[in-house]
Parts: sequence; structure tokens; C-alpha cells
Amino acid sequence: MTSRETLALAAVALPALTGLVVAVAPRRAVQPAAIAGLVLSGVVAISLAVVALTDPADLEVTGWVVIDAAAGLMVGVIGLVGLASALVSPSYLGTATPGLFGARHGTRAYYAALAAFVAVLTAVPLAGNLGAAWLLVEATTAASAILVGFSGKPRALEAGWKYLLLTSLGLGFSLLGIILLASATPGHSLDALSWRSLSADVPEGETTLVAFLLIVVGLAAKIGWAPVHNWLPDAHSEAPPPVSALLSAALLPAVLLVAWRVERALEPAIGESTGRSVLIGFGLVSLAVAIPFLWRPLAWKRLLAYSSLEHMGVIALGVGFATPLALAGVAVHIAGHAVAKALGFYAATPLLGHEPRAAGHAVTGIARTQPGLGATMGVSLGALAGLPPSPLFLSEILVIAGGFQAGREWAAAGTAVLLALGFVGLAHALVETTGGRPRRRDRSTAPGLRPVLALGGAATVLLLALAAAAFWLPDTDIVEALARGVG
Amino acid sequence: MSGTLAWALVALGLAVVVVRRRSVVVGLVTAQALLLAGVATAEAESTDDVAAALALAVRGVALAALFLVIVARTRESRPVRAGVTPFARAGLAILLALAFVWLVPAVGLETEQSERAMLALVAFGAAVVATRRATLHQLLGIVMVENGLVLGAIELPGGASLAIELGVAVDLALIAIVAVVFHERIFAEFGSGDSAVLESLRD
Repeated sequence: MTSRETLALAAVALPALTGLVVAVAPRRAVQPAAIAGLVLSGVVAISLAVVALTDPADLEVTGWVVIDAAAGLMVGVIGLVGLASALVSPSYLGTATPGLFGARHGTRAYYAALAAFVAVLTAVPLAGNLGAAWLLVEATTAASAILVGFSGKPRALEAGWKYLLLTSLGLGFSLLGIILLASATPGHSLDALSWRSLSADVPEGETTLVAFLLIVVGLAAKIGWAPVHNWLPDAHSEAPPPVSALLSAALLPAVLLVAWRVERALEPAIGESTGRSVLIGFGLVSLAVAIPFLWRPLAWKRLLAYSSLEHMGVIALGVGFATPLALAGVAVHIAGHAVAKALGFYAATPLLGHEPRAAGHAVTGIARTQPGLGATMGVSLGALAGLPPSPLFLSEILVIAGGFQAGREWAAAGTAVLLALGFVGLAHALVETTGGRPRRRDRSTAPGLRPVLALGGAATVLLLALAAAAFWLPDTDIVEALARGVG
Repeated sequence: MSGTLAWALVALGLAVVVVRRRSVVVGLVTAQALLLAGVATAEAESTDDVAAALALAVRGVALAALFLVIVARTRESRPVRAGVTPFARAGLAILLALAFVWLVPAVGLETEQSERAMLALVAFGAAVVATRRATLHQLLGIVMVENGLVLGAIELPGGASLAIELGVAVDLALIAIVAVVFHERIFAEFGSGDSAVLESLRD
């Protein structure tokens, strides 16, 4: 077994083991064991990302496992957000009502489900086979739905139920597409669904095209691409903040990576232009649907949820344009979005502790009464809006430039217009949220603020580093490896 | 698979669309799963195929037991009426199935009947999720979609991978268990497993 395979195995096994330990540990040991296990898992995942991105030309591809630059990037993001979510979870649990499992079992159930979710999620980008990737994506639904409904409040139950039902139905259609694809491959076996086999063996024809559409539309329901995004704003706004961060920053792009791998693998059969056009279409529709909501005064977590819809659209456009500039933009965007979005969701715990009304209403003037919290939310929202020097400003420029480079001028121009409109909406929200007229004058320190401030400092440094990286990334081996895929 | 078996599966599926009682629907979906397990056993060519068929039967029986326990634990004080009448539901489900058969090209399964039965079950399951209000009915709609997909996997020439078939069975069981947790909690919170009460989140 190579060092990469060992790290990949450890990155998946450690959180799984953590979940098992948490399930049987004495009550007092549950939280320390969970945090220690998830932090260690995060460190291992980030190490795998460093190894995979340091030498991106060195691929590990078997029928069941793939460790390439894209997997490295995603595993790193999952590791980072998983680690940070573990660190802020005690603050959340200190204020939460674990209604779904009761006070006695709530903490244990939360950490066991969180560890299971991180384990399955880490395995998604490493899956070397479409069948295995589907199974893992479906498994993330079970683990994360429990977490979405964790509070047991009526709105959380509604969000969790919608999430479970709509994504399961969507993934059912994906599985139908996979069966169609298996029937079209020589040998007709689901074993032939490794990314490389698909590229080499799937024949041209309408069966392959219909299979591709079914798979991508089904996955779109999980990614939260419009118009099949209905569960997304509800689940992200009702889940515990550390879970919302994982859903938005890690789960959505991880499933998007699967959709991208499907498109790449089937390009020889369905045509490069057709596959990429479908992704670009989803990207443009997602941006167009998100923007009216970004212009409205929304509750903090709901605003972040609609911003996820916008950013998944940007990433879809980047992988659809698929030029070196666009792919450099995608890499920076996935990482920058993860850092900024996770920070925003983490800030929700002290925000709701300080101003419970913010659960259902737009928050205003928070920086006037809670300067530290206001600064953290400002960094998050400013970065997500694409306010320079946010790395998302640079990544969006790269994606648009990549669109022109790909000869898709209309789509690139449309992207630029939609992103400008989205920027105006989020910039207005930024001004109102931080500097508007505060509803609450209480200046006492919000509960759970300290870990969020610490993460806010680290996130600011990371965002600036990513902005710097955006300048040199387009000419690196990483982008070349992303463009080459597993072929 | 013979045409009679394919029609039996489709008829059971259509009954799920129109029947009101939850326990009857559980029985119909379980009968479908067991029929599929029987087909898988009859067509088995290796020990892997037999193991997959056995897993399918175990999954069907285990889910039936789970659902029946839940039906007993969450007795509705009055019937949860679907917003759409049974005739309209059946019509919608048949139209959807015909659309699927028309839109999806020849798949290359063992027989044409099994292809059509697979698409019909997927369409009926989707119709149940879309038109029924009872949370347990919606969950059973998802199970019926999976039954249709299992039929497709069984009828693939050369058969499907055991690992994938077992994985699908485990995934569906996990989803069902989580959904049952939600159903019980929704029932406890609202006094009914009617999804119409879950409409507060809107923009």
C-alpha cells in the first residue's frame, strides 16, 4: 500500500472509528473523544491533501479508489471544515435543545452522527467507481438528515424530512441512470463503472445520453443546483451551525465533484460540448434563481444558504468552461467558499445566543453592539460577496475569463452580469448586517463567541493566502492535473 | 423474467398508488420485494447472485417489520387524506410511467417487459411521493422506486455487482430507519404523520 493509500484509508477510517468509540464511550468521555478523533481525522485529511496537491501528476487510480488533485482538494476542504466544526460543536451543544434524541442521549447521538457523516463524506471524492460514489453519496443523506433535524423543533423536522425525501428521490433517478449506463457498457456489469473504464468503454448513443442526464439531474438534487434545490435553504438554515457548515462547504462541492467526474468520463460518448453545456446550464440557472433571494432581507443562515446556491452555480460554470483559467478559479472558489461559508455558519451560534430573533429575521447593526461578532460576520459575508481582496473575487474573475477562453462568450457575459447582481445584493446585506440600526442594545459578550473569534482570525489569514494563491495557480501542475482528470 | 411476473410487480405498484391503509401498503411493497427476491434467486448463476437475492429478501422482511411496528405505534386518529383522489393518482402515475417508457431508450435488460416494469415502478414511486400526504406513504414511495431499480439490477445481462447490490440494500435500510425516526417525531410533535403540517418554511 502506498503512502497516499494509507493516508486515504486513515482519513476515512479515523472518523468512522471515532463514531464507534463515541457510541459506546462513557458519557463524560463522549465529547473529548469525539473532538480528539475528529481533529486527528482532519489533520490526516489535510495531510493527504498536501501530499496529493504537492505532486499532482502522481495519480493513484484503481477500480475503487482515486487519489488525484481534485480528490486531494476536496478531502482537504472536508478535513478542514470537519475539524473546525468539531471545535465549535461544544459551544453549539451548550445552547442547543437536542429534541430528536432527548437530553440524555443528545450529545452522544450528535457526535456519533457527525463522525459518521465526516467519514462517509471524506470517502466520496476518493471513490474510484461511479457505483461506489453513488452509495457513498446516498449514505451521506442518512447521516446528515439526522443532524439536520437534531434540534427536534418543528421547522428542523420539516427541513430534515424534505432533505431526506427529495435527495433520496433524486438519487433514485441517478441510480436509474447508472443502471442504464451499466446496460450500455460492454460486459453489462456495474463493476465496469470505474472512471477510467467509463471513459474508455461507454459507447455513443442515446442510452448513454439519457443515462448521463438522469445521473446529473439526480445528483443536482443533492448538490442543490436550481431548479431542484428546494431542500437546500431549509436544511442549511435549520441544521445546527457546525453541520450547516459541513453541508454547504463540504457536502455540496463533494457531490459536485462526482457530477463533474461523470461528465468527464462520459465526454467521449456524449460529446464534450453536450456534457459541458449541461453543467453550464445548471450554473446559470442556479445563479439566476439565487439572486432575487440575495436581494431580500433574510435571516442570517437562510442568506448563507441562498449564497450556497449561487456559489455552487459558479463552480458548475467553472467545470463547464473547463479551461485552465476556469479550473484555477474552481479550485480557489471551492477552498475560499468553504472557509468563508463555514465561518459564517459558525458565527450563527453566538449570533442566535445574543439575538434569538435572528433565527427567523434579518439581523441588523450587529457590529455596533458586538464588534467581534460583527467583524467575523463581515469577513464571511464580504468574502462570499466577492469583495476584494476576497479570493472569491479573484476566482470569479478567473471563471469568467475561463468562459471567454472556452469560446462561450454569451455564457461568460451572463455569468458576469449575474455575479454583479449577486454582489450588489450581498454587499447591501453586509452593510445592513454589520452597520445598520441594531435591534438589540445588549453589549454583553455573546455566548460561544471566543472559539468563533479564534476561527475568524485563522479564516482571515487563510482567505488572504488563497487570494494570493489565485495569482499563481493558473500556471501550476495542479490546474494541469485538474484538467487531465483521472485519464 | 416472464411477462406475468412483470405485470404482477406493476399491479402491486399501482395498488400502492391508490390504497389508503398504511398497513396494506406496507404489505404490497413487501410482496414486491419478496417477488423480486424470488426472481433473483430463480435467475441466480453464482453464489454471489444467491447472496444478493438473500440480502434483498432480508431487507424486504426487515423493513416490513419496522414499518408495521411504526404503523402500530403511530395510529392516526383520523385518515390522512391525500390532496389528490385515488383515480387521479392512478391516472397521474400511469401517465408518468408511459412518459418514462416513451422517453427512456431501450435499456438492454433481459426482456422488454422487465424494462417497462422497472420504469413503471420508478414512476409509481415518484407519483406516490408527490401526491400522498402521509409521511409513511411518502417513505414507501421511495422504497418502491428502489424496488424498481433492484428489478433493473437483477435483469442486467450478466447481473449486477454483489457489493453494489448489498450497498444499495444497506443504504435503503439506513434511509428508512432515519425516515422512521423523523416520522415518529413528526407524529409526536403534530399529533399526525401528515406532511401538510410541514409547510412553514417558505420564502
